[in-house]
Amino acid sequence: MENIRLSVSDFIAVTNQTLEYTYPSVEVEGEVASFKVNQGKFVFFDLKDAGGSIGCFMMVFQLRVPIEDGMKVIVTASPKLTQWGKFSLTVKAVRPSGEGALKKSFELLKEKLDKEGLFAEDRKRSLPGVPEHVAVISSTQSAGYADFVKIVNDRFGGLQIDVAHVQVQGADAPDQIIRALQYFNSRDVLPQVIVIIRGGGSADDLSAFNDEQLVRAIAGSRVPTLVGVGHEIDESLADLAADVRAATPSNAAQILVPDRAEVIRAVRYQVRSLLPRVENVIDQQSNIVRTSLAGAIEKTIEKTSILEDRLKNLRSVLIQLDPHTVLMRGYALVRGLTEVGGIIEVETNHVIMKAEVKDVKRK
Amino acid sequence: MSKENKSIQDNIVALSELVAWFDSEDFSLEVAIDKFKEAEALAEKIESDLTALKNDIQVVKQKFDSEA
Repeated sequence: MENIRLSVSDFIAVTNQTLEYTYPSVEVEGEVASFKVNQGKFVFFDLKDAGGSIGCFMMVFQLRVPIEDGMKVIVTASPKLTQWGKFSLTVKAVRPSGEGALKKSFELLKEKLDKEGLFAEDRKRSLPGVPEHVAVISSTQSAGYADFVKIVNDRFGGLQIDVAHVQVQGADAPDQIIRALQYFNSRDVLPQVIVIIRGGGSADDLSAFNDEQLVRAIAGSRVPTLVGVGHEIDESLADLAADVRAATPSNAAQILVPDRAEVIRAVRYQVRSLLPRVENVIDQQSNIVRTSLAGAIEKTIEKTSILEDRLKNLRSVLIQLDPHTVLMRGYALVRGLTEVGGIIEVETNHVIMKAEVKDVKRK
Repeated sequence: MSKENKSIQDNIVALSELVAWFDSEDFSLEVAIDKFKEAEALAEKIESDLTALKNDIQVVKQKFDSEA
């Protein structure tokens, strides 16, 4: 068979065409080495294992999670032969592989975003006590979403709930959630809260919620956000950037709306508490009337006593002025003409006698 | 649906105002019975409205798997 003669450029083009046909997209797992960012735009690193090493290239905006040398990652890439004859991987996406790398990546991004103030408490907005219009971003097929809906329906009613069905795990999940956030944030009538929920899963399943662009989109949402991802022990960067963090989707439902049973109990209690208040006022007013009455009686008795004393004194004076009392003290009462030869009547305590006036002298 | 929710909120506020009247200087025993009956009726209305309320859940038609 005769060899095909090609120019260098053609050979590179044919090789790339063959590679593109054979490996349109591959996932390669390895350890990052010689990581660097040039001009703030171009990312270069080597991916290696015990048996070999391959150069990787990507744009900085495609790097959704922080990576550093020594970290184990999985890249989604297309193999390519450059015009300088260097074989490399053009990376479309990179994600940490294994628990250690996920944790490391999480910590690096957490530190970075924390320094920017994305998790600051003073950025947090409060949610309305009883919202009327709520947006939910979740997979409508997930158990977490089903739990959320059941608890919201059990607890309260009258809400308009708009749901955006998105993937909540995998490489496409962050972008889908970001688009849903943009969708709700651009409505003419904004919802009062955007709830992002996903049930439990492995660290890899939940890693979508540690995507830098998603975390920034949550922090930048015009509408207050409530995020409930995974189980209580799981912490995602989306949680930290949200205005309110729920431990689970069920907990998000509990935070979002009050329990109607509790509202009914509180309303009943309010009405029940009125009767003792009325009774209390009646008691108070009865006491006032009773006290006033007692005061009036006391004053009447006091006045009567004073009048009785005065009467007693007058009676005593009257007794002293009674002529019989004077006669009893040995005096006599004389009646008749007080002139010589006149007959007078003399009354003592015991007798009344008549006598003739023998002499009259002026005192 | 949210209008009904609003009316429940209004009724809860009205009930709170009625309850506050019982602690206010305007309180008078002559009016208290009528106010109490009003509060009782309001509480019953709130309870029945709350029990009857349903949520309106709609999945939006927009797809989010690619740029619109």
